[in-house]
Amino acid sequence: MVAASLMLATRSSAQFPKFLIPKSVVSQYAGSIGFVSVGAGYELFKNDRGSLDFNYGYIPKNKGGVLHILAAKFAYRPIEIKVNKWAKLYPVNPGAFISYHFGPQFDTQWDKDTYEKGYYWWSTAVRPHISIGTELKLDAKKILPSLGVKALRVYSEFNTNELYLISYYQNVGSLSITDIFKLGFGVRVDF
Amino acid sequence: MYSRIFLYLIFSAWLLQSCDSIEYSPNQAFDAESPKDINKKNLKWLAETPGDDTLRFVLTGDSQREYIYSEKLVETINKIPGVDFVILDGDISDFGLLQEMEWVNAIFSKLKMPYLGVIGNHDLVANGEDVFQRMYGNLNYSFIYQGVKFVCHNTNSREASFNGYVPDLNWLKQEMAPEEGVNAYIAVAHVPPYPGDFDPALVENYINVVNGSPNTLAALFAHTHTAGVSYFHDQNIPYIVTNAIENREFVLVEIVKGKLTYKNVEY
Repeated sequence: MVAASLMLATRSSAQFPKFLIPKSVVSQYAGSIGFVSVGAGYELFKNDRGSLDFNYGYIPKNKGGVLHILAAKFAYRPIEIKVNKWAKLYPVNPGAFISYHFGPQFDTQWDKDTYEKGYYWWSTAVRPHISIGTELKLDAKKILPSLGVKALRVYSEFNTNELYLISYYQNVGSLSITDIFKLGFGVRVDF
Repeated sequence: MYSRIFLYLIFSAWLLQSCDSIEYSPNQAFDAESPKDINKKNLKWLAETPGDDTLRFVLTGDSQREYIYSEKLVETINKIPGVDFVILDGDISDFGLLQEMEWVNAIFSKLKMPYLGVIGNHDLVANGEDVFQRMYGNLNYSFIYQGVKFVCHNTNSREASFNGYVPDLNWLKQEMAPEEGVNAYIAVAHVPPYPGDFDPALVENYINVVNGSPNTLAALFAHTHTAGVSYFHDQNIPYIVTNAIENREFVLVEIVKGKLTYKNVEY
């Protein structure tokens, strides 16, 4: 994508390609991608229903780190409920994201000298997740025009990953579905 | 109107779930509710256990991703009279994740007697070493109960890329040396000294050190998911391997008047 965008950038006479400019900035607490994470958000379908975020997350030592995490997050908002003139609720937003942990203890592939193929079958650095979120969108132009932004959104998001899912499916009865879904909260500002 | 009620419900659900469900990363070393120093606390509990003329304990291992069978194991052990403690001999987790060790501990906390965690190769994956150290304690540790010294140690050589320092033979030698108040010695580790995951360069010396104490009763292992016993160097010291929790079998060990016997128990 970077290469493609560079090519485009050169073609459009050094003008920064418009689609690369994020539509929003987002900040999230928890949700398996950091104690706090910050990121840039892109709109996918021009109808306010699909979003793609790129987040960087950090966990300090006193919160169980130090860990540095990157995440690419997709979410879709199929249901829109108008609460009033300035608020919309997106109650059930399925999504998926991939997280990447930095550090020598995390690998995308296992050391070939030490491990035979398939000795461990998963990646410790790359974690696929599925998620389900709830979002409230506030029209900032109507309620806080002085901010000069389009919208403010607050959301919560439950997620699980493939390792929790496989643990759950193998132990239904001992583990419950609420054991494997993990929570995060976020705010988003649309420009 | 209904949307307001809906909102209210969502916020309530948030609050109810939030305490337990907040996660910074599956790889975080601890969270606000993770237990700490389980081995230390349980050894204190064990020291307060009165005991009798029979030292009886359970050797089990490989609870990795086996929560239903772990619950069955705990129920079974709780029905056996006079069990002093339980050794969970490594691969507590499958992926080295905090959540897994928390789930396993929640189940093993239902035991009526203390249990002790030993490090396994899967527990060293990803951030697992940090998780284990904070939740259970040191990778190498020992304790004395009724005159028997249990020397628990890390034999997961492959996870150290066979660097020659796992197991730590110098530490082991010191721990197996003659000591006042100790009548017998038992070595405990996850990976048995078979070809494969144990450092081949250290096997011979390891057996010398384990068998070289003034009175080694046995060496205890897990990892292979098969129950078995081996003898090395023509000595009558059993190297006992417990079956895995997935195969619903553990080892019940008894020491009476300095003599060790054991049997495999299915459940």
